[in-house]
Amino acid sequence: MNKDLISKAASRRLNEVRERLIKLDPQRFGEAGPFVASVKETLGEARAAGAPVRHALSESRDWAEAATDCLTSLRMLSLQSDHATQPAPYQPAGEFFNRLQAKIVARQNVFELLAERYRWPLNFSFPAEGEVRETVLMRLLTADRVRVEKASIDALNADDLLLKLNLVAVHACATTDLRFLDALNYYYELLPATPYSESQHPWLLVSWFALYVRALSSWS
Amino acid sequence: MRIGILANSLPAALSIYREAQELPGTEVHVLLAPVSGNSKLSVHVARFVAKSGRRQSLSLIGRRALVHFRKPFDHPETIARLKELRLDVGLHKSGNIYRRETIACFQHGILNAHIGILPGYRGRSVVEWSLVQGDPTGISVFFLDEGIDTGKRIVLSETVDVSHCRNVAEAKQYLFDLDATFYRRALALLQQQPAFRSNDGSGRRYYVMSKLFQEVAQENLELLRRSRIAPDL
Repeated sequence: MNKDLISKAASRRLNEVRERLIKLDPQRFGEAGPFVASVKETLGEARAAGAPVRHALSESRDWAEAATDCLTSLRMLSLQSDHATQPAPYQPAGEFFNRLQAKIVARQNVFELLAERYRWPLNFSFPAEGEVRETVLMRLLTADRVRVEKASIDALNADDLLLKLNLVAVHACATTDLRFLDALNYYYELLPATPYSESQHPWLLVSWFALYVRALSSWS
Repeated sequence: MRIGILANSLPAALSIYREAQELPGTEVHVLLAPVSGNSKLSVHVARFVAKSGRRQSLSLIGRRALVHFRKPFDHPETIARLKELRLDVGLHKSGNIYRRETIACFQHGILNAHIGILPGYRGRSVVEWSLVQGDPTGISVFFLDEGIDTGKRIVLSETVDVSHCRNVAEAKQYLFDLDATFYRRALALLQQQPAFRSNDGSGRRYYVMSKLFQEVAQENLELLRRSRIAPDL
């Protein structure tokens, strides 16, 4: 693998994503405005200081329990803040995976299901969750992608799509498997840069961008 | 060995037909069906008259090697006729994904010439992904199942140098155009009853690639080209 070429490409994209992020208006995000402003500030300050973006998220060796929910955890991770977790017993994905598959086959949203299992989003990177990761990646790059390409993001539930992208971004920060980073590259090129009108959690766009920056910085 | 080339158009099947029929002990048929909906033989005839390979196409019809189906390969009407043909091996050249019932119409199964090295590279954009990750490009001929490049029996898997190609699209076309040669070699191996290599699922499934990484693939190909032209640089 020619890491130098990948690094240059990642650096180019990193700057583009930062630019896109910095142009976002926090006031368009309602109650999440302060969070959006904080992300802009964190990434803007890092760029101004020439400081590297903090990217160190390692693949989860332990299944962890966060004191909070998935969406709050995503906000914290995208602000690059530390977050206390406790090791917790691993619940095998079997039954969850079957439910996920059933919803996917029935073309139903998986937002609630994913948000419940990945209250601590780094658990998505836990080694035994490989089958789930492959399923989410496949869904993003096949059926979801085709629907967006044939119609627009309005053809999908924006929150459902953005949560998947956030989880994939978390894993992309922790893995050397380039397929996950490239799923983010692909959607960055595919989706509009502005918040989505149908979204209940429009800030998920911002946390996705912030985590994407973090993933890119681990290669740049 | 009775062989059937599964195709949606005559010109697509011709080069494979030419290669396969040169193998001793083979009887080759071109199986023509629409991707979806209905098809008329007259449409295919009109299409190939306008294209190159007309003489070969006429010769093929003259030899009664052409079997035309009105319905797609997975339609019950087509499956019933495929069974009657009692074919040993199918060669995939259509735009279809086959169901189990269609695959089962061929005694040994349906071969696919995949432009990637299996078991490592399944799915789409595998030429690009091989280039990005600095792995060899190549072709694998394997027996299809209902999944995406998951058929367990690999007949032939070989690296193919694409460093002479100017861009990734040209490299892919170069590999696609080798399908007839690789099918012929795979059929020759099958006649010798080989031990199959296992497509054991150890690789990864790949998907469409972003423009950003397509540029990286192109840059990697450029480097390969330069090192081929001037190995010391």
